[in-house]
Amino acid sequence: MTAYRATVIEHFRHPRNRAPLPDANRAADGANPLCGDRIRIQLRVVDNTITDARFTADACALCIATASLLTEHVRGVTADAVASIGGDWIRASLGSDPPPGRTRCAMLPIDTLRRAMGNAIP
Amino acid sequence: MSDFLIDALTHSDEPHVVQATLVSASGSSSKKIGAKMLVGASGRLLGGVTIGGCVDAQVIEAGDDLIARGGRRLLDISLDDDEAWEIGLTCGGNVEVMVQRVAPADTRDPVVAAYAVVRDALANDRAVVVATPMDGAPGALTLDEQGTSTGSLGDGAVDAEARAIAADVLRAGSRDATVTTPAGARRIFFDRFAPPTTLVIVGAGQIAMSLTAFARELDMRTIIVDGRERYATHDRFPLADSIRIGMPSEIVAGIALSRRVAVVLVAHDYKYELPLLRQLLRAPVGYLGLLGSKKRGVAVRDLLREEGFTDEELARIRTPIGLDLGGKSSPEVALSILAEIVAVRSGKRV
Repeated sequence: MTAYRATVIEHFRHPRNRAPLPDANRAADGANPLCGDRIRIQLRVVDNTITDARFTADACALCIATASLLTEHVRGVTADAVASIGGDWIRASLGSDPPPGRTRCAMLPIDTLRRAMGNAIP
Repeated sequence: MSDFLIDALTHSDEPHVVQATLVSASGSSSKKIGAKMLVGASGRLLGGVTIGGCVDAQVIEAGDDLIARGGRRLLDISLDDDEAWEIGLTCGGNVEVMVQRVAPADTRDPVVAAYAVVRDALANDRAVVVATPMDGAPGALTLDEQGTSTGSLGDGAVDAEARAIAADVLRAGSRDATVTTPAGARRIFFDRFAPPTTLVIVGAGQIAMSLTAFARELDMRTIIVDGRERYATHDRFPLADSIRIGMPSEIVAGIALSRRVAVVLVAHDYKYELPLLRQLLRAPVGYLGLLGSKKRGVAVRDLLREEGFTDEELARIRTPIGLDLGGKSSPEVALSILAEIVAVRSGKRV
């Protein structure tokens, strides 16, 4: 089994931070209208820094795994640093690029996180 | 009982209709106790007390007479037919059909009042029993799942005994019973009305389209659930009672689940199936089916077993879904799914 495959399966079977975040002050929903992946990312942001990040999702293994890795990665990260998370981070985190046609599955949590940063909730 | 029959009993513009109810059957009967037919003064017919025409014809004849004279009668109808017997084509047996004239616009009519209670109970997802004397005496009594009772059979002691029997009928289904009073024995028919099955269909594909069409004929409410707006549309599901788009596990978490709810997972996509199965395996749904091969079903069960679900819980997943009717097309698969739901709902071991 490749490192990529092992990472995806491990995080799909045992996702980190997959739960609602009761004291979230930022949140966004994301969807892939073609395949039906659905994700919600909730954040706690204090002084422009993410102090907690969680997600809920009905989504494919790659999307779940990426969300799991992402919510681990962004704790302690500033808003400015979130903007730089992209293809390089996916490659480094998963061990290689996703297969052709699956990039959008891995990008959905990242796009949703970026939107969550700009979406304050009461 | 279908909504249109309740509508006809409580909102008909005809001054009188005759309600016929199958109250007992011996030998072979093709319909369930409680099956109904309405005969209107204009000759209009709704429903049927048997699947064939011979008994219904006698009921219609009696109905025409009752429209004119009023009251309530019990018809004892033989299903034997000498000529049919000779060639071995008779069903055999007897049925009893209670026929009574009802004035839909008259709210003082005890039957109309009882059906108004039925309508209200069903709208609020409660089962209810209507008790009606079979001896022609006036009166009707209702008892719902919350223990609320209305109406009377004309005697406090009879009412008390009828309520006790009705409580049993709420669990077991319509039947007649004899109540003994100092004045003698009285036969009473206890008619149970339950809210329809709600069919939650996860995955807005071709099978789901056939399911919503067939489910309507079976008086089921249908809820389509999917995360894809382009699939779950009113154009594709004109007969669905509700179309809900979003995260399926969140949507289903918001539905009141009970033994009257059947959930079919036909998305054929683990992203929806696994979160939903985690929720539903410990929920009180009456039916839980998963589209997929036997091999896929084993894999899904193995995965969930590793997460801590017991074999008993996992046995609730019906997969491959549906009765094996041999069909392969989407409508055929939908038919086999609904056949299995009907069988499970009726207490058959399938």
